[in-house]
Amino acid sequence: MTSTAEKTTAQPGTLSEYTVRTIDVKRVYRMGNEEIHALKGVNISIQRGEYISIMGPSGSGKSTLFNMIGGLDKPSEGKVYIDEVDIAQLDSYELAWMRCHKIGYIFQTFNLMPVQTALENVMLPMIFAGMNTADAQDKAAEILKRVELGHRMFNKPAEMSGGQQQRVAIARAFANDPSIILADEPTGNLDLNTGKLIIELLRDLNKEKGVTIISATHDHKMLAVSDRIIWIRDGRVDKIQNRADLKIETGTIEGAEGEIH
Amino acid sequence: MSNTQESIKRQPMLPLSKAVEIAWKSIRLRLSRSLLVTSGIVLALAFLMSILTSEAMIKGMRAWIANPQISVTREQQQALRDELTTKTSNLRDAVAEAAKARRTPDPKWDAEKVFGKPLAELPRELGMTLPLTAPELDRAMAANPELVPMFQDWLVTARQLKAVRDEQTAPQRLLAMMEANGVPSNEEAIEQSRTQTNWLIGLALLVAFVGILNAMLMSVTERFREIGTMKCLGALDGFIIKLFLIESLFQGIVGTVIGIIVGLTLSMAAVSINYGSFAWKNMLWGDLFKAMLMCLTVGVVLTVAGALYPSWRAAKMQPIEAMRSDV
Ligand SMILES: Nc1ncnc2c1ncn2[C@@H]1O[C@H](COP(=O)(O)OP(=O)(O)OP(=O)(O)O)[C@@H](O)[C@H]1O
Ligand SMILES: [Mg+2]
Repeated sequence: MTSTAEKTTAQPGTLSEYTVRTIDVKRVYRMGNEEIHALKGVNISIQRGEYISIMGPSGSGKSTLFNMIGGLDKPSEGKVYIDEVDIAQLDSYELAWMRCHKIGYIFQTFNLMPVQTALENVMLPMIFAGMNTADAQDKAAEILKRVELGHRMFNKPAEMSGGQQQRVAIARAFANDPSIILADEPTGNLDLNTGKLIIELLRDLNKEKGVTIISATHDHKMLAVSDRIIWIRDGRVDKIQNRADLKIETGTIEGAEGEIH
Repeated sequence: MSNTQESIKRQPMLPLSKAVEIAWKSIRLRLSRSLLVTSGIVLALAFLMSILTSEAMIKGMRAWIANPQISVTREQQQALRDELTTKTSNLRDAVAEAAKARRTPDPKWDAEKVFGKPLAELPRELGMTLPLTAPELDRAMAANPELVPMFQDWLVTARQLKAVRDEQTAPQRLLAMMEANGVPSNEEAIEQSRTQTNWLIGLALLVAFVGILNAMLMSVTERFREIGTMKCLGALDGFIIKLFLIESLFQGIVGTVIGIIVGLTLSMAAVSINYGSFAWKNMLWGDLFKAMLMCLTVGVVLTVAGALYPSWRAAKMQPIEAMRSDV
């Protein structure tokens, strides 16, 4: 909560409360003579503290959109604003700073450093941020305790279950108190129950820290916890649902389920 | 873009110690890969060091041949020779004198027990004849025990003379040994063999370089996702470069040091076997030390050169690679 508040006050009230804004974002992949239009003009605005799920069939462009928002890839056309900053204007040092401080990434494949312990993995973003080792250690231990891994701090990823590894990855994503968490299919490699626990953890952290969570998923358990669901289809925003709407017409979810094999 | 300046800062450079720490961990946990890199360097540097070592030792021996430090003077040698001549005639006289008494020989007399070897073997050891033939001396000493200390005294002087002679002929003997071992002696032959070994050294270093390049490239491609993830977490290009350079540098230095020790020991052992104590008569320790420094430099430069391109490749990798789930 603290860092989000700081960043808000750093910018005068004239700015909007949107933490992520995309304007007509297009992405074309060129493969030989073939052009793949992965995104065909996406406009979304996400408010601070929202829990957003991005749903859509395979190949619809969810990951592509993610890479745009996370500053991992540049749009062919259009603009992406993070806290009202056009990220296309940033140089590599500023981009690195943004990835380090503003955004926490959670991957489907966990992506922990195999040679480092859970504690060291969580410390890594803090070290990159220039924090000294002792402080980083204390803070990392604290976050690990928060995700109920206080007893596995000195284990390497290979010695942990998938769910535990993903919780370490979540702890790492929260290391520098980011304002946005980007999670691309965070439960994709986990079984049903473990996935549910991870989703609940993300939801709790979202409430606790006021961080914006954007999660791409096929997982319908995600729907219940989301504030809004952005449906992507064929590189475009198909529809945006609020949770309120969801509760009324549960039929939509059933209907949607048919699309996923 | 005043907004940009206000809210987005520039990522700071990390201290080198962080890169060292992470690289060290990575080596320890990927020991087999590290050994692969290291063993190539060990082989190449052991080869280089052994050639430089034997070159230095042979140079030392050549210098010694040109200027042997002989401690005995010609006069001293002449004095010894005269002394031995006197002792020889004295012994002959004493034997002739004793023969007149016609004493019975002691049945328990055994020359081998007293002198450590049969008398007949002494001429070969000394490189000179005895005052009388071996059987004559044996018979005389068996009958007349007072002759034994006389002969022992003669033997001491004879052995001294032999040592002095050996010392004076040592350079010629060493030269003969070197020729027998095929060590080139004239300028032209030296030049020719040097070109040959230079080619061999170059080849060995090239093989080591390619080995490092290959192993480091493997190490980079193997860690695509890891590198991408680090970039997602805010690592700068320079940090990734440092990480890989330090990793290979660790291995390079360890491999080089091992290679130097192996090359030095093997080469010293081989030269010692070929030339015996001559190998250590004029050891050019300064030259050996220089050779070690040179090998260390070559090893370090080699590893850094071999790791440069792979490290650059790693640094230029896009963070998006971390997102790929199909690796
Ligand atoms: N690097 C790339 N090069 C070429 N085409 C790509 C690349 N990445 C994605 N695409 C194409 O862009 C489209 C959108 O892909 P994307 O990965 O964003 O889908 P997705 O919604 O994340 O799918 P999934 O649910 O299977 O992860 C697909 O047609 C895909 O083949
Ligand atoms: Mg995807």
